[in-house]
Amino acid sequence: MPGDLLNTTMPLLVAATEGADEGLSPLVKVVPGLMIWTILAFGVAMLVLKKYAWPPITKMLDERQQLINDSITSAEKTRSEADLLLADYRQRLTEAREQADEIISRARKAAEATKSEATSAGQEKREELVEAARRDIEAETRKALEDIRKEVANLTVLATERVTRKSLTEADQKQLVEEALREVDFSSLAGDRNN
Amino acid sequence: MNRRWYALATWLTVTFGALFAPVSAFASEVEFSPDDEFALPPWIEINIFGIDMSINKAVFYIFLATVLTVAVVSLVARRMKVRPESRSQTTVELAYSLMKDNITDGNLDPKMAARWFPFIGTLFLFIWFSNMVGYIPLPVNTEHTMNIAGLEIPSFALYAATANISMPLVLTFVVWISYHVEGIRAKGLVGYVRGWVPAGVEGFMVGPILVIEVISHLVRLISLSVRLFANILAGHLLLLFMGGGLVILLGLGFVGSTILGLATGVLAVAFFLFEIGIVATLQAFIFCTLTAIYLDGAVAEEH
Repeated sequence: MPGDLLNTTMPLLVAATEGADEGLSPLVKVVPGLMIWTILAFGVAMLVLKKYAWPPITKMLDERQQLINDSITSAEKTRSEADLLLADYRQRLTEAREQADEIISRARKAAEATKSEATSAGQEKREELVEAARRDIEAETRKALEDIRKEVANLTVLATERVTRKSLTEADQKQLVEEALREVDFSSLAGDRNN
Repeated sequence: MNRRWYALATWLTVTFGALFAPVSAFASEVEFSPDDEFALPPWIEINIFGIDMSINKAVFYIFLATVLTVAVVSLVARRMKVRPESRSQTTVELAYSLMKDNITDGNLDPKMAARWFPFIGTLFLFIWFSNMVGYIPLPVNTEHTMNIAGLEIPSFALYAATANISMPLVLTFVVWISYHVEGIRAKGLVGYVRGWVPAGVEGFMVGPILVIEVISHLVRLISLSVRLFANILAGHLLLLFMGGGLVILLGLGFVGSTILGLATGVLAVAFFLFEIGIVATLQAFIFCTLTAIYLDGAVAEEH
């Protein structure tokens, strides 16, 4: 069988590659008509492609190139804008923070001032109240002593009448008692209240 | 996505079904000769000034590749958006980037790249579409017909214009002439030819070196064209033999044919994917990259 294979195919292949045999020439025969058709077809294809294929492709690629360039440019622009904006915001943030700190410290000072003011005002008020109270007490004390004095004078007049069965004129008696009482020292009493 | 896979699977099944068809038909003793697959019987006979310009299978494939190149790229290009919305745009952009950035700008200085991109770009697409349509089975084998619903239609076959030496050769001619013209335009005829001799070579050695350089330029005509042609032809021959051709040629009987058919069929699928996935694009890429390199070499200051 291999012999058959060789006998049938080898001459064919050899002839095909050498192309010398007139009988097998279709494989390697140069055909002028075909060459002319090829040139014509190729020429037509080249002209048509030159007119209808390459220009739109080139145009599209140029447009794409332009689009990419534009995109890059606008992206760079956007980015630098963003950078500026960011720096601006950072600065504003810093300023805001400083302002906030200042406000806080000012508020703190104000609070302290208010507090100390309030404290001193309270102190004054208290002192005032204490003073007023003291004055009231002194006035009341004085009044009370006056009352006591009068009461003692009256009682003394009565007591003297009982003892002497004689009555002085009321005016005489009062004058006598008042003179006597003036000599009595009530200061110790008032001093006790004071202390 | 699923629907696409179904479509692909169906297509492959039909393809290889058609290729395997002779396996069941080998008993009918149809004379099968592989080179018939590459024969070019005229479909419409045209003769201009004694040159046979008949429309045949290869011409049809060239037209097909031209129409696809022009239509696909132009239509997608027309609907291109700055923000891609379709996969077709992404694909064309990918191809454009390959042609522009990689092949053209990667090998030529900006001025040369701008001047030669339309040529190199068209060359790439033209060769790529030629290669790719070559892997779509089409009813183009007018030597054999098949009967479908009472209609005699040509058998499905794989063919590629690039699998015929004429097409790569004439493209190579265009490239070859182009780069020489560029070289002469840049340096003048004398300067260009003198540029072939490396700096430092003097005296009696100039002659032989010049001869070698001339030969090397002439060899480029063959190397550039045959690289493309032979790769595509080899792929098609492999697919032809693996996809049933071998089974018919050997005629091993029912059991042997079945075993061989299954084994080669699996290989055929593998080769098919390899050709579509790598060879078709790679060869177009190499052809155009070399074109750019030749153009650059022609105008470069230092050789």
